[in-house]
Amino acid sequence: MKLKKMAMKDLAMVNFLNSEKLDYSFDNLSSFMDERAEAYRNFKNIGIPSKRNERWKYTDLKNDIRDIDFSLCKTLIDIKTDSLDKIDISEIDYFNKNKNDYLKPIQYLNDEAIIYLNLSYSNLFRVITIKESPDKPILINITSDGKGMSFPRFIFNIYPNVNVEIHFFNGGGEGFINQLIEFNIDDNSTVNIFRVNESTSIHSETFMTYLNTNSNLLLTNLSLPKNKSRFQAFNSFNGEHSSSVFKSVSIPFEGCKDDFLVYNTHIGSSCSSNVGMRSILEKGVECSFQALIDIENKVKNSKAEQDCRAILLDEKASMNAKPEMKIFNNDVVCKHGTTIGSLNKDQIFYLNSRGLSKLRAEKILLQGIINEYIPENSPLINFLPENYK
Amino acid sequence: MKEFLNIKNLSVSVDEKSIINNLNLKINKGEIHAIMGPNGSGKSTLSNVLAGKNGYNITSGDILFCEENLLDFSPDERANKGIFLAFQYPVEIPGVTNINFIKTALESNREFQGLDPLKPGDFLKLIKEKAELLGIPEDRLKRQLNVGFSGGEKKRNEALQLMMLNPSLAILDETDSGLDVDAFKVVADAINSTRSKDNSMLIITHYQRLLERIQPDIVHVFVNGSITESGGPELANEIEKNGYERFSNG
Repeated sequence: MKLKKMAMKDLAMVNFLNSEKLDYSFDNLSSFMDERAEAYRNFKNIGIPSKRNERWKYTDLKNDIRDIDFSLCKTLIDIKTDSLDKIDISEIDYFNKNKNDYLKPIQYLNDEAIIYLNLSYSNLFRVITIKESPDKPILINITSDGKGMSFPRFIFNIYPNVNVEIHFFNGGGEGFINQLIEFNIDDNSTVNIFRVNESTSIHSETFMTYLNTNSNLLLTNLSLPKNKSRFQAFNSFNGEHSSSVFKSVSIPFEGCKDDFLVYNTHIGSSCSSNVGMRSILEKGVECSFQALIDIENKVKNSKAEQDCRAILLDEKASMNAKPEMKIFNNDVVCKHGTTIGSLNKDQIFYLNSRGLSKLRAEKILLQGIINEYIPENSPLINFLPENYK
Repeated sequence: MKEFLNIKNLSVSVDEKSIINNLNLKINKGEIHAIMGPNGSGKSTLSNVLAGKNGYNITSGDILFCEENLLDFSPDERANKGIFLAFQYPVEIPGVTNINFIKTALESNREFQGLDPLKPGDFLKLIKEKAELLGIPEDRLKRQLNVGFSGGEKKRNEALQLMMLNPSLAILDETDSGLDVDAFKVVADAINSTRSKDNSMLIITHYQRLLERIQPDIVHVFVNGSITESGGPELANEIEKNGYERFSNG
């Protein structure tokens, strides 16, 4: 397999994959090289993950990317903001950060090959430091062109007392995109993310989030993959009273696959996490929902919820749901629920009994499921497929 | 009076268990009929069969509505032809706002009748008027359909839909249950206000108190899937006083 061969090559290849600017930075920042080398060694030891050796059990990445050329495909990152006075955008700023900050992903997830893969080969870096609340959302468009692989990486450093809305759009490509996005959210700040995934490539995206005291992360995700796609988030609630709400609507195209994984680790007390997925599964598609609530024994007054609902519209469509809880104390309010099935017949009859045809009733019910997460005033509404608007 | 609904020799079973047995019932235009009966006698089955719900096996008989066989029509066609079922247990529909749902239902009814949709301003004015009559606050119109509503709120919402859609035959399946004293009066009076010579009602209830506010023309006693006795409003008084024992034994 081409990629496996690549993984066995020495670090020279890693340098080759990066821009001259980064090469320059390597010369000056030996600690960064050490970290990169460590990630690469870890990745080499694990290799490309398969179902067997990765936490994520539903995607056989090893099999999925078997035939993809190991060359960098052209990937464009377009960042639009009207608040450049409040935001620093840089490709190398994070080198100046404390080494331990940078190493958080490796310390936190010591068996995530997909993250090592990005850390080893990242070819597109953006470090975005948000010092004050921007007036308008930051728009980030990531598109790939052609075959091959790409490893974009973002690091968001959010200063205290900042409110920011970020819109991500992923699209294009025929190869494999492995994207890593880290959020360091400082005290009393709120990050509100709207994400659209219309990727035509095999797409893997990882969020690594560190939430300080009283900070919040909100994600509304609309996933419309035209290939195999996975989104995974690892949220670490380090500060007290921090919270996150992740809501995902998944409507994969015919025969496509979409995985959604969120691990919430409560380290500080009085934190709350909420994860939900709504999937509409048509012809031959497969979706997965995996969520972990991890609450350590000294952590008090935690609230955590998981909720998955999938509507199967086709006999060959399938949904995997794997809610997990690791809770080591009693001071917790925790809820989880999963519903997988066809549309509710009583609801259809109710709508029929008011004069709506079966087709119309089904459409309204599906729209209702989507509207729970993407209401009419959401920025994502225009990205919905026409028959669900 | 013109014959409106004519149920002839209707027998219905579910999973081979007979629920309705050789039922005959005629309702003329403008009439209000009440059906009273003990639990499990088949009252709700009758309302579901009239509205066209799946899962019921019609083993014999016909249901004529305006001289057409109702059994030939799907539930939405029956609704558009003027049949409205106020549910005993209205379902919750997340993500669908109450007002949008009622607007869609009204548009569907009007389209079937060859009428243009109401102008948005006219629709809003109408629904606010009706909601006010029922004591439904405006913000509840914007909430998701029946989601988180109390039992009484759901019943008021059924009454609101009834008033907005103005059906020719309204079937009220225990609309009075779950309502407190004040809400009961408001809902009953609002429903009563829709009464006209052009529409009819079939009221299924356990309590005579509803029939005091919506005076029926005929009261039927429904036991073991068929009508055992019919009479005037005085029959409801007797049931309230003595229960169903006499009818069950008869």
